[in-house]
Amino acid sequence: MFIRRLPKFEYHAPASLPEALDLLALYGADAKLLAGGTDLLLAMKKRTKTPAHVINLKSIPGLSGISGDAKGLKIGALTTMADIMRSALVKETYTPLWDAVSVMGSPQVRTLATLGGNLVSAVPSADTAPPLIVLSAQAHLTGPSGERTCPVEALFSAPSTCSLAPTDILTHITIPFPQGKGAYLKLMRRAALDLALVGVAAYFCLDANKVCTHAKIALGAVAPTPIRATASEAIIEGKVLNAALAAEAGSASGKECFPITDLRSSLEYRCSMVEVLTERALLEALKRSN
Amino acid sequence: MQKEEYQVVGKPVERTDGRVKATGKARYAGDLIAPGMLYGKILRSPVAHAKILNIDTSEAKKLPGVIAVITGKDFPGIPFGTRPDTRDQTPMPITKVHHFGEGVAAVAALDEDTAEEALDLIRVEYEELPVVLTAEDALRPDAPLVNEFCSSNIAYTSDFRFGDPEAGFKEADYIREEKFSSQRVAVGFIEPHACLAEVDATGRVLLQGSKQSPYPTWRHMCRALDLPLSKMRLVTPFVGGAFSGKHDPFDVDFAAVKLAQITNRPVKIVLNYDEVLAGYRQRNAMNAVLKMGVKKNGRITALKAECILEGGPIAGIGPFNIYFFGAWLNLPYKVPAVEYHGKLVYSNRAPCGTVRGQEIVLAQYSVDSLLGIVAEDLGIDQVEIRALNAITSNYTTANGVVVDACGLSECIEKSAATIAWKESRKSRPKGRGIGFSCASHPSGVRLGGHFGSSVLLKLQEDGKVMLTHGGTEIGQGANTVFCQMAAEILGIPFEDVIQGPSDSDTAILDSGMFSDRCTYWDGNATIAAANDLKRQLAELAAKKLQAKPEDLEFKNSRVYAKDKPEKSISILDPVRTAYYDNGTPLYGKGYWAATDIDLVNWKTGSGNLAHGIDFIATAVEMDVDLKTGQASLRKGVSGDDAGQPIHPVMLEGQVNGGSAHMTGHALLEECLYDERGRMLNYSWRDYKQPTALDTPEYVVDHIHTHDPYGPFGAKGAGEASSCSTIAAIANGIYDAVGVRITDLPITPEKIIREMKKKEGK
Ligand SMILES: Cc1cc2nc3c(=O)[nH]c(=O)nc-3n(C[C@H](O)[C@H](O)[C@H](O)COP(=O)(O)OP(=O)(O)OC[C@H]3O[C@@H](n4cnc5c(N)ncnc54)[C@H](O)[C@@H]3O)c2cc1C
Repeated sequence: MFIRRLPKFEYHAPASLPEALDLLALYGADAKLLAGGTDLLLAMKKRTKTPAHVINLKSIPGLSGISGDAKGLKIGALTTMADIMRSALVKETYTPLWDAVSVMGSPQVRTLATLGGNLVSAVPSADTAPPLIVLSAQAHLTGPSGERTCPVEALFSAPSTCSLAPTDILTHITIPFPQGKGAYLKLMRRAALDLALVGVAAYFCLDANKVCTHAKIALGAVAPTPIRATASEAIIEGKVLNAALAAEAGSASGKECFPITDLRSSLEYRCSMVEVLTERALLEALKRSN
Repeated sequence: MQKEEYQVVGKPVERTDGRVKATGKARYAGDLIAPGMLYGKILRSPVAHAKILNIDTSEAKKLPGVIAVITGKDFPGIPFGTRPDTRDQTPMPITKVHHFGEGVAAVAALDEDTAEEALDLIRVEYEELPVVLTAEDALRPDAPLVNEFCSSNIAYTSDFRFGDPEAGFKEADYIREEKFSSQRVAVGFIEPHACLAEVDATGRVLLQGSKQSPYPTWRHMCRALDLPLSKMRLVTPFVGGAFSGKHDPFDVDFAAVKLAQITNRPVKIVLNYDEVLAGYRQRNAMNAVLKMGVKKNGRITALKAECILEGGPIAGIGPFNIYFFGAWLNLPYKVPAVEYHGKLVYSNRAPCGTVRGQEIVLAQYSVDSLLGIVAEDLGIDQVEIRALNAITSNYTTANGVVVDACGLSECIEKSAATIAWKESRKSRPKGRGIGFSCASHPSGVRLGGHFGSSVLLKLQEDGKVMLTHGGTEIGQGANTVFCQMAAEILGIPFEDVIQGPSDSDTAILDSGMFSDRCTYWDGNATIAAANDLKRQLAELAAKKLQAKPEDLEFKNSRVYAKDKPEKSISILDPVRTAYYDNGTPLYGKGYWAATDIDLVNWKTGSGNLAHGIDFIATAVEMDVDLKTGQASLRKGVSGDDAGQPIHPVMLEGQVNGGSAHMTGHALLEECLYDERGRMLNYSWRDYKQPTALDTPEYVVDHIHTHDPYGPFGAKGAGEASSCSTIAAIANGIYDAVGVRITDLPITPEKIIREMKKKEGK
């Protein structure tokens, strides 16, 4: 019912990725990977997760850090939100991700919380998901049968369910160098330390005639997983974006989402806020494009 | 004494507890360790209302490391309560549980993990009963009874009639009636409930707990544990905030003591915040209907109110809450006639105490919102209608409260000027609004004949003064202001007064830290104690200075013969004479009680309940997002009359703190329950208190008045702004977007819904 002390578990601190993979293979579903612990330890104190083994990834070198070149960006799964927020490169070029990280939790939480943890926890309101989806990010996974990649968009299968196998480790995320601009907007009940009631990321490129191409819109907290608003994307694709078109795209995305009524907000309010935030995110991206 | 003459009073000295808290060295109850200490945990009810058929603790007792397990049956079964006519609770429940999260058993074990594990082994058989969730539920003729000590769900009532309300409404040119409601809110201190209990070889109990008002804790605990008062000592460590949530003893305190008695070992219990949010004190939910009559110009002719407070399964301090709501229909505006009917009802939600500002907060929210509505209806300027009705100095309210010094008119003027009200009427961006509200608060009411405050000063041979008082430093700065006052009277530096421990063995416990009484009551006692000490020093110094004792002046650590500044001695001189020549100690004793005011009648509301009524006018400027309905506060301005500020910076902190606190009540916070009475949002993730980013820039304008009874002319200060903030926000939202939300909290969803309704959508 109420939060309790941590349950008993065995703690492992592998020094390398192969060692971590071996431990995962050995303990399988009985084990959980630990990154910043801001989701996992709470879940354990609430007894919603009771792994017999906890495998700390932080002792493995090379899983965190941000590097970029002309082709794009690589962010280690263990990179903290605070590190991402401090990155001038992310702020300048991968702005929607920076928008998301800067409104996540609090400075204390951001210092612990990692990008990988946020994605693998796969809550519908995960703030980094919509911006990574519109930026066409790829998740890089390592498992018993080697390395593979998966679009971030395909990572989520249900609330709090990530399509990773229990024996997979998310090692890093890559984002192709964006030719366009975007924005992420988050609606909260209070100005900080709050989960998204609605999160909207929008991204597009402008051609020489100011026509939108490669438009992508992703919604958070308004469906069982983060989702694309494809009908809304289609409205702006190939057109010159203006206030009226942004509003039209907004009303379309309000119809594409399928939120629930919960403690934090009603279904109706969430839908109409998707409209408002989509419109605003598009206009913000347009401002940034000019 | 003139204001300019003060050396220490009115100066922003360093708080006595500032450094130790800022460096993390302050020890709170949860930090305490005693040799051989056991750890206690409490098993909590998963249901809101049920008969307890059986509690089987045998398996838990068998777990290695478990030393004792108790239930409600281990206590003597003597009920206790705030008033003799409301003794309606026992330390832990015996026959039934009354709310979700109520403690039903407790374990003491060698470590916390074992104690928690033992809880899982306790088997409780419940027979669920229908729950009473709301005031409406409670008052239904066939409603199940909540409290086994009471044959009705009505815990207390107050019915007032002052002046001639019928004549007042007849005289009115305009009458407006409106419903207001307010939600259950949590108290919001930082430190969860915690204590360490020990029993010595003679059976004497020592309890070191995070308590706001050790006196009621001491009295109630001794009663319910069947202990003589002399068998219990309370020492209060640093307290991490209280805001009226830590007055009375809880199962935490009772269980720790009982487990310590049984095991003969110290027992510590520290709660986590889920437990605090779900199972401990909240503010009453309110349903009120107010009717106001005014003349064409906006002058109030009569006010009628009906108020029902839903307060959980115990009366607690609810009788005062229900009285206060009615009393504060009479303030801060001149209301010639008042009719009031108040009811406190039992329910199966968490037990209520109150929160900062007590239920004066709810009364002022309702009255000032209604005044704002009336002004809007009649096209009267919001500042003018408040200035017109504001109470002034030397005024007696309809219910008999004598207001001595009142700076409310200046407070209104100042807050309107600082927020630039007039300019805002000429032009402002869409969605921008300014709301006003006024409020007042007593400087410590006299709830019983035993209410009094006492201070003891011990002047040591090195010239330093050790100050002990019966109040509690809960973060409000009490210790600091008393040291300031003692230093001022004795003419010594602030640093030469040292704050002593908070210990019932050395101090006479004060009635408690509530209703802004500490600075005022204990402050007056401090002055009396310092004067007592000064008199003794003067006797000794007079001989050396060849002057009369009454002709001596104490300043800059020296004693002067009046009008002969060249004739002086160090204050250490008489101190040394006392200790090194005469072998006599130097104690200063002081006490104070407002015995010239009335013990009010809670049922009829009559009586002059307090001195030092403080006043405030608050203006809040905000922007409301026309599409999301979100209100962002830009600026909060208060003209505040707390008499003479003793410590202007701490005073400002109190004013802003109260305002920030109630911003949560106005906009964000709400304890949510499901239909079976289980709280849904008992975590800081789901229960939304404002963060620093949710509060506006604050400006406080101190309006200096001189209260004739207050220490150095000061009045209380901690709670007025919490009484003025909610209506200011509600009125501001109306000003911004033209919709009036009368059921708190004012959420963006409600704003959008009302805006759509207004647009006919
Ligand atoms: C007070 C507070 C505020 C918060 N505010 C927000 C907010 O505003 N927005 C938001 O989106 N979230 C918020 N969160 C949730 C949380 O902080 C984030 O989801 C965070 O990014 C999780 O990262 P972590 O490193 O702490 O993950 P952990 O808790 O360590 O792990 C989370 C899950 O991911 C798995 N995992 C972690 N790393 C990997 C990996 N590399 N490979 C495979 N599996 C892995 C773990 O096994 C676990 O199941 C908040 C949490 C708290 C406590």
